[in-house]
Amino acid sequence: MREEIMEILEELRPDVDFENEKQLITDGILESFDIVSLVGELSDAFDIELRVEDLVPDNFNSVEGMIDLINSHLEDE
Amino acid sequence: MQINVLEWLENTVLKYGEKTAFSDTENSISFDQVISTAKSIGTAIAERNIINKPIAVISGRHCYTPCAFLGVVYSGNFYAPIDGTLPVARINQIIETLDPALILTDSQNLKMLDRISFSCSTEVIENINQHEIDQKKLDCIRRFSNESDPLYIIFTSGSTGRPKGVITSHHSLMCYIDAYSDVLKIDSSDILGNQSPLDYIAAIRDIYLPVKHGCSTVIIPKSMFSSPALLFDYMTEKKVSSVGWSVSALTVPVALNAFDHGKPEYLKKVCFSGSVMSCKVLKIWQENLPETVFVNQYGPTEATASCTYYVVENKVNEDDVLPIGYPYKDYKVFILNENNEYAAVGEKGEICVSGPALALGYYNDHEKTEKSFIQNPVNKSYRELIYRTGDIGLLREDGILEFHGRMDRQIKFLGHRVELDEVEGTAMTLAGVDECCVVYNKDKELIILYYSGEATAKEIAIEMRKSLPGFMIPRKMIKLDAIPKLPNGKTDIIKLKNM
Repeated sequence: MREEIMEILEELRPDVDFENEKQLITDGILESFDIVSLVGELSDAFDIELRVEDLVPDNFNSVEGMIDLINSHLEDE
Repeated sequence: MQINVLEWLENTVLKYGEKTAFSDTENSISFDQVISTAKSIGTAIAERNIINKPIAVISGRHCYTPCAFLGVVYSGNFYAPIDGTLPVARINQIIETLDPALILTDSQNLKMLDRISFSCSTEVIENINQHEIDQKKLDCIRRFSNESDPLYIIFTSGSTGRPKGVITSHHSLMCYIDAYSDVLKIDSSDILGNQSPLDYIAAIRDIYLPVKHGCSTVIIPKSMFSSPALLFDYMTEKKVSSVGWSVSALTVPVALNAFDHGKPEYLKKVCFSGSVMSCKVLKIWQENLPETVFVNQYGPTEATASCTYYVVENKVNEDDVLPIGYPYKDYKVFILNENNEYAAVGEKGEICVSGPALALGYYNDHEKTEKSFIQNPVNKSYRELIYRTGDIGLLREDGILEFHGRMDRQIKFLGHRVELDEVEGTAMTLAGVDECCVVYNKDKELIILYYSGEATAKEIAIEMRKSLPGFMIPRKMIKLDAIPKLPNGKTDIIKLKNM
């Protein structure tokens, strides 16, 4: 899963060091516009439905946060 | 007649001194505190014997930043807000053009000064915000001020690769704020939700509407615009009643289904600007906030952020196109055709603006000022400066103006003005880029760089980040063996767009 997410992120923003950045939202590295694309791509790739309540900084500040978020959805479904 | 924004502040303090003027997630500040902080900062700057000079203000997204701006005004100078998170190369370009007499920074941006180049002195806001006020000195400065004095300089993308500093006077700003207040019916009971970066033109409403009316501005953290459920909850908690946002700030919550979660319960007035609003998006806002007034604003920084407004009268259909409406009060807006004559009703031409809201020009750039702010070609009888917006428009039979795109390669992305030539020029300077072309895909809202050369997309993105703000970096970079050409040697943009 990690590799797949990294691939999506690298394509979205090749200039960002996603391995080491842990404050992607809080520090404003990802723009709101990036989040729109990212939510679409992650939903498609993992066949999950992200709700607006999922879109909080903790879930998108780091790749780890995104993995946890996706896992919680996969378990529910 | 009032001729200085500080007169607004002083009147407001008499009526609403204890009321909150500005707040952020950590602090809030009353009008009484705003005026004393601004006077302290103003006195401290004045004691350096700086007068009628630009002062760069590098300060974060918090409630003391507007105080620093107003402090500069008290000192008899004008401010140029600079976002400390911009790339160093960009800040250096701005500082070089501005040639400030002083750089004023908050403590969180202090470290940043080590990385930029400048020759003036610096001052930290926190060190002078309680400085002893010298009222006599401030009074004396005011006596020598007039309404044509510059109030601020805001930098915007320039096609030659250098940002341009648009100078706005007290009078222009006051004209705009008055006109906007009339349309949106702003009064002391309003609570404004600030979205715009404080160094950006759209923020002038969030700064000066409280100063004029005694209303309050809540500075919303940037990260909330990526978390629309939190954003809506926060707006409801703060009872935000009125916003002036970029189109993209209204589009993102819709794209992320924020209304499934709730809505900003108290929001009654919404003005949007910066780019063309999709009626698909507006329809969803209208359905969820049926009592709210929506206003489409159009206009460039060179005319104090604006020219025209359109109050959306009916519930829109998805495929409607909003007009840009009527000129704001005290603005002259008209269409010139290719022959430099007033266009007939229904005839397309360039949207032009004149009147007191016209900027004083581009700071330290006589050449560009002369080129952009010109004598009205129709008026042979007396001096009348106009600004040609570069936008195409037409006047309808019913007196309403419509917008029909750009004449050049300037686009609007995330509410910011972007010159594609500037992006292209920057890419061309990079090692490993032989040829390139930047195009804008309007439907997908993507800036795309096509290039040939050895560099990888990642290398280009990282290099570009060093000199351009984030919103100017192409979101897609496509490597080609060669850039397609027309027989005359120019880039075949049509072919590129279809690739």
